Amino acid sequence: MLAGINRLVLFLSMIALVLAAAVLTYSVFSRYFFHAATDWQDELAVFLLVGATFLCGAYVQSYRGHVGIEAVASILPPAANRWRLTVVDILTLAFCAFFAWKSWTLFHEAWVDKQTTSSSWAPPLIIPYGLMAFGMSLLSLQTLLQTLTHFLGDRRNRP
Amino acid sequence: MSMLALGLLFGGVTLLVMFSGMPIAFALGAVAAVFMFFFMPASSLDTVTQNVYEELSSITLLSIPLFILKGAAIGKSRAGADLYSALHVWMSKIPGGLGIANVFACALFAAMAGSSPATCSAIGSAGIPEMRKRGYSPGFAAGIIAAGGTLGILLPPSITMILYAVAAEQSLGRLFLAGIGPGLLLVVLFAAYAS
Repeated sequence: MLAGINRLVLFLSMIALVLAAAVLTYSVFSRYFFHAATDWQDELAVFLLVGATFLCGAYVQSYRGHVGIEAVASILPPAANRWRLTVVDILTLAFCAFFAWKSWTLFHEAWVDKQTTSSSWAPPLIIPYGLMAFGMSLLSLQTLLQTLTHFLGDRRNRP
Repeated sequence: MSMLALGLLFGGVTLLVMFSGMPIAFALGAVAAVFMFFFMPASSLDTVTQNVYEELSSITLLSIPLFILKGAAIGKSRAGADLYSALHVWMSKIPGGLGIANVFACALFAAMAGSSPATCSAIGSAGIPEMRKRGYSPGFAAGIIAAGGTLGILLPPSITMILYAVAAEQSLGRLFLAGIGPGLLLVVLFAAYAS
């Protein structure tokens, strides 16, 4: 189930990345060759890339692909290493859950006050905040599952 | 607690958490959040996510994912190996040409991609076996590639320079320009040493 969502989100993020590249290219062309004023391109690209960044977090976590220093892991005995991994996962989960919660409150604030960005295009701020909150929630869920596997002994997700 | 003690504690805890193998992104965030909770007014925790978004929405920083996208495209293609073999053919007449070809290939790749490890792996995968075949010692062959790889962050574009420009609020264009001179000087010196 979560793997399916992750795949879908990954696909959307790929499209977002390519779209952002296209939008920025268009922006540069229209500004330097046609001297047209640009207002929506920068922010659209920001939204697309913020979305791609946060939504992919859970997918990367499912492969344990987030960059960390693994130098200590290679010298510890396996039993101690399992403890280390459990503690690390709990800490990661705590931080992700905290961040997700704070981004939902931010999203709620932007929703209630109808906040927009300060540019002339002025898109609502709930779009990037919502993407951030949703992405971090997915990541928390993924980390929660991986933390639980330490205790329940599901071999499927164990690295 | 004094300023110095707090700073030392923060540095120590950060290093400890980083070496525990926790993903760096979460490690830095978690340590910062915990210290904010204990040593700063409670309201500061509420603005954490907003600050993260505001930092992310800088246009300069957003060029990094796109640079990485470009680097991935170059890395998947045979550009590295092709570049290397072309330079190898050109330089084979010069004494010590193989080493020079490796340095130049690193430099050209560095001018396309912005990262040192990417440069090392792209040129090294073709260059080191070739040098070993021609009787270069393993240490010297690896040394040429390792030194050539450092050009990756010096010659523009460079991901490290983008991060520095954002963190220190300097002009990115001027940083890139400043990298060209030392980069080319190093290319010449490396080539002289390799021959």
